[in-house]
Amino acid sequence: MAWIYLILAGLFEMVSVGFMGRLQQRKDILSFVLLIVGFSASFFFLSLAMKVLPMGLAYAIWTGIGAAGGAILGIVLFKEPKNALRITAITLIIGSVIALKLIS
Amino acid sequence: MKYWLLVVLAAVFEVGWVIGLKHAATPLEWFGTVIAIIVSFGILIYASGVLPVGTVYAVFVGLGTFGTVISDMVLFGSPVEPLKILFIFTLLAGVIMLKLATPDDSGTGGEQ
Repeated sequence: MAWIYLILAGLFEMVSVGFMGRLQQRKDILSFVLLIVGFSASFFFLSLAMKVLPMGLAYAIWTGIGAAGGAILGIVLFKEPKNALRITAITLIIGSVIALKLIS
Repeated sequence: MKYWLLVVLAAVFEVGWVIGLKHAATPLEWFGTVIAIIVSFGILIYASGVLPVGTVYAVFVGLGTFGTVISDMVLFGSPVEPLKILFIFTLLAGVIMLKLATPDDSGTGGEQ
């Protein structure tokens, strides 16, 4: 169950990054509310997962799903630039974050 | 460039609230932690108007982790390990590479 909570937490983080993009495009209250609810749900499920799973592991997987998913959403939904250098750089950042969380 | 500095500032506040969540004990410290959460996400939303939102978030998470790992070592006596230093360098290299490869006016908001 903890793993399901963790995946849910990552997915909520990912869609919240999408809501942040939606807020920039539409500038409406609904996007803002979705953004707040999304991040709150993400932290809630992360805290549930962390009761069972080791903190470094849970945080690493949460960040990986959320930040990588957010970057992919940005490219797919918002047509953000996707040259090879940018994708390499984002991969390097997220990979380093996951590694640091796992060994800390 | 200005907006990249804002993301750095958002990450500084993120480090503040991560430390707060772990160490806050008094009501005043908890109040500061909540303020830091609001400020860091506020800046983040503002910056994503000009820079791509996926990029802003990746850099925010990256720099936040960088700051948290450094402050754990400097302030809270967490061991300094060669592997940590290596991944700190690859992380910063990724952030700098991303900054150089992202046009300044490629934001999610604006006239699209």
